[in-house]
Amino acid sequence: MTTFSLSRREILTIAGSATGAAITPAWAQSPATAWTNLEKAARGQTVYFNAWAGSETTNAYLQWVAAEVQTAYGIKLEHVKITDTADVVKRVRAEKAAGRQAGGGTVDLVWINGENFAAMKRDSLLLAPWADALPNFKYVDTVGKPTTLNDFSVPTDGQESPWGMAQFTLFADSKRLPQPPQSMAELLALARRQPGRISYPRLPDFTGTTFVKQALLEHVADASVLAKPPADTDFAKVTAPLWQFLDALHPHLWRGGKQFPQSPTAIRQMMADGELLLALTFNPNEPANEIAAKRLPATVTSWQFAKGTIGNTHFVAIPYNAQAAAGAQVVANFLLSAKAQARKADIRHWGDPTVLDLSKLPAAERALFPSQPLPGQVAKPAPTLPEPHAAWVEPVEKEWAKRYL
Amino acid sequence: MGQKVPVTAIRLFWATTLLLLAGGPLLTTAALALGALLDATAWRALWHEPPWLSALGLTLWTGLASTALAWWLSAALLAQGFVRQSLGRLLRGLPVMLATPHAAFAIGLVFLLAPSGWLLRALSPWLTAFEFPPPWATTQDPWGLGLIAALTAKEVPFLLWTAATQLQRDDLRQRWRSEHALAQTLGYSPQRAFWRVVWPQLSARLWWPLLAVLAYGLTVVDMALVIGPASPPTLAVLAWQWLQDADLAVNAQGAAAGGVLTLALLGAALLWRGLQRLHRLGGQRLNGQRGVASMPANAQPSAGLPASYLLLAGLYGAVLLALAVGSVAGVWPFPSVWPETVTWQAWHRVWDSRSTVGTTLGLALASAALALAWSVAWLELAPRRWDTALRPVLYLPLVLPAVLWVVGLYSLALQWRLEGQWLGLLLAHTYMVLPYVLLALSPAYLGFDARYAQLNASLGHGPWHFLWRIKWPLLRRALAASAAVGFAVSVAQYLPTLYIGAGRFSSVTTEAVNLAAGGQRSLTSAYAGLQFLLPVLAFALAAWLGAPRRFKPAHP
Repeated sequence: MTTFSLSRREILTIAGSATGAAITPAWAQSPATAWTNLEKAARGQTVYFNAWAGSETTNAYLQWVAAEVQTAYGIKLEHVKITDTADVVKRVRAEKAAGRQAGGGTVDLVWINGENFAAMKRDSLLLAPWADALPNFKYVDTVGKPTTLNDFSVPTDGQESPWGMAQFTLFADSKRLPQPPQSMAELLALARRQPGRISYPRLPDFTGTTFVKQALLEHVADASVLAKPPADTDFAKVTAPLWQFLDALHPHLWRGGKQFPQSPTAIRQMMADGELLLALTFNPNEPANEIAAKRLPATVTSWQFAKGTIGNTHFVAIPYNAQAAAGAQVVANFLLSAKAQARKADIRHWGDPTVLDLSKLPAAERALFPSQPLPGQVAKPAPTLPEPHAAWVEPVEKEWAKRYL
Repeated sequence: MGQKVPVTAIRLFWATTLLLLAGGPLLTTAALALGALLDATAWRALWHEPPWLSALGLTLWTGLASTALAWWLSAALLAQGFVRQSLGRLLRGLPVMLATPHAAFAIGLVFLLAPSGWLLRALSPWLTAFEFPPPWATTQDPWGLGLIAALTAKEVPFLLWTAATQLQRDDLRQRWRSEHALAQTLGYSPQRAFWRVVWPQLSARLWWPLLAVLAYGLTVVDMALVIGPASPPTLAVLAWQWLQDADLAVNAQGAAAGGVLTLALLGAALLWRGLQRLHRLGGQRLNGQRGVASMPANAQPSAGLPASYLLLAGLYGAVLLALAVGSVAGVWPFPSVWPETVTWQAWHRVWDSRSTVGTTLGLALASAALALAWSVAWLELAPRRWDTALRPVLYLPLVLPAVLWVVGLYSLALQWRLEGQWLGLLLAHTYMVLPYVLLALSPAYLGFDARYAQLNASLGHGPWHFLWRIKWPLLRRALAASAAVGFAVSVAQYLPTLYIGAGRFSSVTTEAVNLAAGGQRSLTSAYAGLQFLLPVLAFALAAWLGAPRRFKPAHP
């Protein structure tokens, strides 16, 4: 077998150089062969996938993925359950500091985006570019969903592979809140009318940070400054209207804005109990998921602000010292397959929107996705607004902590 | 005599081996942890971090208040139990309380006390007229009252139980009983005789357990995450958050905060000691008052249990019931007392992650067995002076803040390439379990009547016969109970599991705390319930194994 594939590769190389179509070095392989070899190398590997595990639907989906890649590729996928991706960044950094070479790490694949990706990229903690070479990458909607190539204004450069989409979404029981607020200004008015019934997660929780960024986006005079690092602008001047808004909002929040729930899930539970009026999520399908799981009543509806809300893409990345780099790439490619993406988008399983362009897919694979929006999902999707540059997160969080903790 | 010398030499050799096995890694870990404190920039950064001082204030307040409350309550319960001779019944309910992990208890207590909790649901709307949960800060309250309540309720059983291990020692029990009786013949009321004669001797023996309680109260992370104040949190939580940060400089700042916690603990311990001494000095001046001579309870020695004890037991019952109901709750709006829909989803998920339970069980069994074997060998072989000298080192994991301890543990594991390995996790657990097992075992083991050994020798039996046929069977109860304590401690480990497991190993405790942060009621309750169930089963097993042999009357 080995001899055969070797000779075939040689033939391909010779053919390539003979036609002169591409000047390929003798050691290079055609993409298809390279991929086959990678799949071969991946067989039998154990891939430690470090992924946030706060939601049982996510965990169940990853168990399904593990079973699939075991049968199809002979890869053992272990879900390493983490609460904060920063821990993973920290661990890989500690391993690098301890002198761990390539192939000597504890993390093979990590669910990541935003500031954590920016930090790993900056500190060279990631494997050399690999994502664009995945066979399924050609189906990704890089045009309609530009955030699949630009992670919080930081170019992905093939060092992470898109996995799912997210957009800031609100939800509430329509019996209690028939007219949901359509902007941050309307939210403030609602908080004034019903004090103590609204809150957002304590920063640096991701959804909490997104809430503040959404407020920043709605109050900044010129949104284009947010695409550049804050070092290029006057941070205090740009953010002044944001703090003004939050100063006005906080006294009317839950516990007077002196305390914030730890997570969006906590807020969801409090909304379900009736303690809060509305809940926030970054997954537009979460409310529909929860209704299906019978943890929220069917009267709950979800919406996005009329002029649009912040959205982004989440990715998977491979650390420089992954032990199973081949297996990790094969898993990443499977995660991009229509089968895996359709199941992920299905609210019965997870309900995380796809990164693929359905029109690029072969008809049979396109049919795996539903053609109509399901009840409980956002009725009128609003535009996706791009995230501010990743470098905004840290100073905004620091300033927020300084002011409100 | 000529034969005895090599025996002693072998003895000392094994004792030295045991000493190195336990003392070496413990001291190295402590040194590495304290070494992380030698970073001047970290201390400066900490100084400039505004919330640290108010967090320290909260830490001192919650830690000291809960310790004082637990101490006082335990003393009062012991006094009543001793005087009414109802200690046995008092201790019967203890294993369940003792086995309830801190995090699970806190999670259940939150479900009771929250504005949308059971307590208010039961009273609404008929009494309170609330249609929606009131905007009260009854969980994660900024004053730390919830944390104090949870800590107190968790530490009283621990103190009662360590006191009971002292009272179960044959030598002490008989002496104290007779001294107590003697004091009464001098005209002191039973209560006063207890406080004057028994308590000073007992409390002096409870110093290490008390220090453990104090250390736990000042440095707890998992419980404070669940029920403690949030903005600012206690210093231990703040330190933990900084240690989790991706920025190495912030990590160092977290280690420095761990150092502050160590100093706070040292200060609090000295303060406590000082107050105790003052109190004892004051107590020596007898004023001749004898107290109420005869109290009604004295008439019927084993009258009902004290109300405070029943209240405590009731609280545990309510917490466990809240977890049980919460774990199957679907849609459950306020103010319904029972869930509108019931779902087994959470337990299905628990079933799907059986490996988590397997990891927890394996670690707990192995670490408890290792710690018990070490403790028995050590108590059997080590000269008493060595034991006294080594105790402070052995108790290091108990008294050093967990946030600081894991820093040392992690760098040791990194050096030995044990991070993310089952073996590394087992060792980390064993060193955390060891002090508790030793603490639990030594009173009974050291108090064992030496005359049994003489009797054994006089019958011509060897030392192994003595151990296997006489000593260990007679100490069965203490051995089984200490193993159960070790098991429970291992199950409840949060920080070491998270750190040394490198996230690859999840136990029911890491799952429960992670999910509690997520806030979803049913799954959190299910895991907390599981976290409770495992040690309770271990304690039940220990009670069964340790039950005294009953001799059936021979039937014709």
